[in-house]
Amino acid sequence: MKEVSAGRTEEVCSVRVGETLYGIPIAHVLEILGKPATQPVPLAPYFVGGLVHYRGEVLTAVSLRRLLGMEAARAPEDVLVFETPEGLFGLFVDSVGEVLHVSAADHEPNPTTLDARRQALFAGAWKLKDRLLVSLEPERLEPMRLAGAFPA
Amino acid sequence: MDDLTREFLLESQEGLDRMERCLTDLETRPGDAELIAEIFRSVHTIKGTTGFLGFSRLEALSHTGENLLGLLREGELTVSPSIISGLLALLDRLRGILRAIEETGGEGDGAHDDSAMIAQLKALQEPSAVAAESALEEVAVAAAPAASPGKRRRPGRRSHSPSQGASLPELPEEAGPPRDDEGSPRAPEARPNAAASMEETDPRPARPTKEPPPAQETPAASATADSTLRVDVELLNRMMNLVGELVLTRNQILQATSADASFSLLGRRLDMVTADLRESVMKARMQPVSYVFSRFPRLVRDLSLSLNKRVRLDMEGQETELDKSLLEAIRDPLTHSIRNAIDHGIESAEARLAAGKPAEGVVRLRACHEGSHVIVEVHDDGAGMRIERIREKAVERGLIAAQRAEQMNEREILQLIFLPGFSTAAAVTSVSGRGVGMDVVRTNVEKIGGKVEVESRAGKGTILRLRIPLTLAIIPALIVRSRGQNFALPQSSLTELVHLSTGQSDSRMEWLENAALYRLRGHLLPLVFLDRLLQQAPRDASAPCDIAILNADGRRFGLVIDGLADPEEIVVKPLAAVLREIGYYAGATILGNGEMALILNPGAIAQHANVGFTGEFEQSQADVRQAGQRDYLIVATEGRRAALPLETVVRIERIPQSRIERAGSRPVLRFEGTLLPLDDAAGFLAGSASNPDAQTTVVVCRDGGRQVGMTVSEVLDVSAGSSLSEAGTGAVADGITLLQEHVTGVVQLSDIPPLDAAVPSAAREEDLR
Repeated sequence: MKEVSAGRTEEVCSVRVGETLYGIPIAHVLEILGKPATQPVPLAPYFVGGLVHYRGEVLTAVSLRRLLGMEAARAPEDVLVFETPEGLFGLFVDSVGEVLHVSAADHEPNPTTLDARRQALFAGAWKLKDRLLVSLEPERLEPMRLAGAFPA
Repeated sequence: MDDLTREFLLESQEGLDRMERCLTDLETRPGDAELIAEIFRSVHTIKGTTGFLGFSRLEALSHTGENLLGLLREGELTVSPSIISGLLALLDRLRGILRAIEETGGEGDGAHDDSAMIAQLKALQEPSAVAAESALEEVAVAAAPAASPGKRRRPGRRSHSPSQGASLPELPEEAGPPRDDEGSPRAPEARPNAAASMEETDPRPARPTKEPPPAQETPAASATADSTLRVDVELLNRMMNLVGELVLTRNQILQATSADASFSLLGRRLDMVTADLRESVMKARMQPVSYVFSRFPRLVRDLSLSLNKRVRLDMEGQETELDKSLLEAIRDPLTHSIRNAIDHGIESAEARLAAGKPAEGVVRLRACHEGSHVIVEVHDDGAGMRIERIREKAVERGLIAAQRAEQMNEREILQLIFLPGFSTAAAVTSVSGRGVGMDVVRTNVEKIGGKVEVESRAGKGTILRLRIPLTLAIIPALIVRSRGQNFALPQSSLTELVHLSTGQSDSRMEWLENAALYRLRGHLLPLVFLDRLLQQAPRDASAPCDIAILNADGRRFGLVIDGLADPEEIVVKPLAAVLREIGYYAGATILGNGEMALILNPGAIAQHANVGFTGEFEQSQADVRQAGQRDYLIVATEGRRAALPLETVVRIERIPQSRIERAGSRPVLRFEGTLLPLDDAAGFLAGSASNPDAQTTVVVCRDGGRQVGMTVSEVLDVSAGSSLSEAGTGAVADGITLLQEHVTGVVQLSDIPPLDAAVPSAAREEDLR
């Protein structure tokens, strides 16, 4: 409920992975599961963090840490549930923070110096007062798409 | 599309389905006024609504059909094969238009084709056309399929041709219910019609009956309409999911409130309601197989006419219910199997007579429950499959090497028909024989967790048996553990379990270079290690483990796992595409305790590990297993052979005799935290009590709510046994069975007395849990 600037504003859900703060438009977030029980899947693509139980369904959840080549989280992680035309999937993040209001005017594209993998995963960043909020779009994180874009 | 049109489509499709059934029935009972009235009603309903909705093609066609049927109903025309063919063609056309409306909203063009059909139907209204046909009638009637016994009402005999008697087997058990139907409210409506047709003997010109059909038609139809409701399958699926969710929540509540006595009663009530609800929702998804079977009389009729064969279709067990989605899934495999049976199985009338069989072939379609499966059999009394021919064909087509083919036994050869690209029909007909077929049948059935079995005897016929799980959604499974993780193994492919305790695990496994093997009752069984397969952290080779002996479509192997948890009925949840690609998992599930488990796919594991088809592994499969047979575990006790019904066997353990304890005078065994009463059938305890290190084999069995143990000197085999009946009386003898040509005593588990009061009651309670 802060960071209101001039121009078109958007509500984003802030999540933290490692030292970085990411933002996902809340319109894309179906639900947030707080530290759910997870089930690893042997032989799954490296970016699959495991399965989580969501409303009677078994959801495949992508691990942002694994996707970014970071070491595994030490504590249980939160899961965001997204819906795409391909179906539901989850995203493991270290923790979910508050909802922030960001302005389109503060949005900048990815810097060209960013590595190729992050170029493909991130959708630019918002300039907050004291730090950057990396923009994530769920459709770029859809498991089938990741399997095609980032094979092991 | 508006609701009215949608409703119209549904209603018309149902009407046409009914009409199709009646038409094929009519062929066997051409004089049945009630059937004609029913067909008339179906067409009339379509005509009535269609004019209102402005579908002109439908209206024109159904109008002509109605005219023809009107004449039949009045008795001015008699039913002939050409009239039935004409009406069936009309039916197909109407269906085609309905489909076009469903897809495009319009009737499609083809109106000029309609006029040809209308002309044809009009020609059929001429009595002369019928007269010319009557000579052919007899043959066609005989070739027509019999009505489904028990399902459709069978009126009194209105025999039309002498051959009809043969096509309607008057079995005593079938004669009962139809007679009751004679007194049902439907019967009277047939009589006035019949009477009317006798009175109005003056031949009237072919005038359509403009007025609506008699008023009696409505009650039967609206009675069902009042008590039933169409529900979207999607909604049912969602309800099923929600019930699954509720089950989990219930489990958590039960756990959380277990300490609080005041909640336990509420908890139990919640438990009961949830179980009831789950059952009801599952029930709502069930449909009788007649839903799929009903289209087959027509199929058989058309096929036998086009192939010029005489075939009768018998259907049994149509009331057997199956999950809606499974019914849809077996529709195509069944259609294909019936095509095959008629095209390849049933011989021509001449060939049959030459072989000393009745000229008319019989295809029998039978559905029944067997445990948690529904069995659907397609049985033909045709030529059967010639093993040598299949062997030659398979080699010729390069499906297997000649050398390999020589080594295969009969059962293995029969399995070859399921290979892609296999077809033995001498001539490729329009019906079948293009080599796409049995492999598709098998793939489709396996996709829904079912199995296909084939049995064939040259000259006698072929049975194709589809074994379908009751519901797709819920399957019985054994939960196993590997490296701290749960996996579910479908019970359908699990044949037995072997436990290896510390130290046994490396000594009892044998290695041929890097292939691990286990010697199971003298036969070598390939082993697959689940932890290595899934690239999990390797486990200690000498740690205790279990071997699940699996049979995945004729591939037998042992899957080595860390341990076993409980058997559980699991709700299958689909996996995301990205995980399905791994291949080893058939889905995932949420267990009763809220944990998740991946469901293993034994077929895919066998395939990946290159486990070959082992066809004949233990039992001589030559003796075809009949329905009504049971599988038995054959054991040796003090030199005698005894049999235990396989479904009661929980576990076979080899234990040192020192583990057998005594409660009072009774031997007991502590097993998984419970106390089992032990039947010392092998007489070990009396003889060698001095040697506590000697190993004993104990078979743990389920007997109602309790478990009991039995010591045996050796486990010999697993085999199917049939019941024996006493000569003269025919009474089935209890307690003995015929196993591998030996009369073998069946152990009566209930004879093992329960542990008496000397055993602390806490242990008893555990036992019952």
